[in-house]
Amino acid sequence: MLGVKNLHKSFGSNQVLKGIDFEINKGEVIAIIGSSGSGKTTLLRCMAFLEQANDGIFIFDDLSKDIRSISKKEIKEIRMKMGFVFQNFNLFRNMTALQNVMEGLTVARKMPAEKARQKSLEMLKKVGMLDRANYYPDQLSGGQQQRVAIARALATDPEVILFDEPTSALDPELTGEVLEVMVKLAREGTTMVVVTHEMEFARNVADKVIFMENGVVVEEGSAEEVLSDPKQEATRRFLKRILRKEEEE
Amino acid sequence: MLVLSDRFFRIVRILIESFPKLLVPCLKITITLTLLSFFFGLILALIIALVQVADIKGLKQLARFYVWIFRGTPLMLQLFIIFYGLPSFGIFFNGYVAAVLAFSLNLAAYNSEIIRSAIQAVPAGQTEAGYMIGLNYFQVMSRIVLPQAARIAFPPLFSSLIGLTKDTSLASSITVIEMMSVAKRVAAVYYEPFWMYMEAGFIYLMICTILTRLQTMFERKMEWKQPDEVKAEMDIAKSENMKEKGRFPGGNEAC
Repeated sequence: MLGVKNLHKSFGSNQVLKGIDFEINKGEVIAIIGSSGSGKTTLLRCMAFLEQANDGIFIFDDLSKDIRSISKKEIKEIRMKMGFVFQNFNLFRNMTALQNVMEGLTVARKMPAEKARQKSLEMLKKVGMLDRANYYPDQLSGGQQQRVAIARALATDPEVILFDEPTSALDPELTGEVLEVMVKLAREGTTMVVVTHEMEFARNVADKVIFMENGVVVEEGSAEEVLSDPKQEATRRFLKRILRKEEEE
Repeated sequence: MLVLSDRFFRIVRILIESFPKLLVPCLKITITLTLLSFFFGLILALIIALVQVADIKGLKQLARFYVWIFRGTPLMLQLFIIFYGLPSFGIFFNGYVAAVLAFSLNLAAYNSEIIRSAIQAVPAGQTEAGYMIGLNYFQVMSRIVLPQAARIAFPPLFSSLIGLTKDTSLASSITVIEMMSVAKRVAAVYYEPFWMYMEAGFIYLMICTILTRLQTMFERKMEWKQPDEVKAEMDIAKSENMKEKGRFPGGNEAC
């Protein structure tokens, strides 16, 4: 339902994505792993049109065309069916948690205020943030902010949610509460693309794991295949490094 | 000793006599001139800033040119050109209108830079999040970027308002009878320039004090830190805390 073929992206002379193929089907959870600078975040951002890719085919439901030829109107329609969770949460600072979740419903989708309010409260309840509905982002911890951000992404009933390192900006003791919510969503059948450093999460919930390095997909397969029995030397090296880091913590 | 106390009473009498003479033009001219100029200047500043942020070809260059001209020349010169210079092209303004025009145009240049930098200070992530929930450019600007930019721009904009209050005294150079020119005249009549100018200064200081208090009040209202229901309680706690310390926190001594 969402995918790209032969995706290329450069920042100036720096080639960040060198022909990526990616596809996710309804109900799947895909984890994208790789070291910093491997291009995994850029891949996610290109699929949300937060970065303009240089070349490639973009696929979303029945739409399949050159990624450069997609119009602003089409981008807006695609985003209407897509959720995005940022590394830095990016909750609207001038709105309460509830207003943050409601905004996409009342303003972008013209839903009546009362209905939007009910639905937003429901979403906040789902992520365990109902008691903080009237708090502003600045009053919430990072983990709480990220849970509100997930509620905001969920509220619009997206076909797929893209997570860009959702726990990387959090203190270690706060990652648990966010991962918990994400595991719950995965179990409920939410279609999710998750760029992450959380190997445990990838192992437990991902239907498929993709390992990227230097702008290419080095290895992909089931979580078991990639994380426990990697075929590629680069993957093995990366996993070893990650494991060592986790042990140190 | 007798001479000294005589002089003392004379000064007190003059100060009291002249106070309403200064206050009336202050209220009628200085304050209206300030508010009108600030209002028009702010609207123009917003347009100039938005044109640049939206990167509208042609208009952006025009906006830069405008800012360059009005920041690069003295305000006094701009007043003179509008009041004394334009008539040679058959364009006449009375002193008051010329002053509003010059102050508005000048202020727009400075304030547009404040607004532009405030808009650019709103993190890109806010805009991205807005687009990702399905908002369009106009909605992102009006609902997310501008409200946040307003809070960032508020203190420097208020400083420019306070600055303008005092800059209106330049209008005396183009025949506008505002507080400064009245002070000059009264000083000449009584031959007590020191005390007359001190009195005028005192009135300017009072206006600025009021404005500074207003600024502190507005800034507190604009905070997004307290949840809705808790806010009222917190405000009470804060004001009591303040009484203890005997001062206002965050007061701005911009005057």
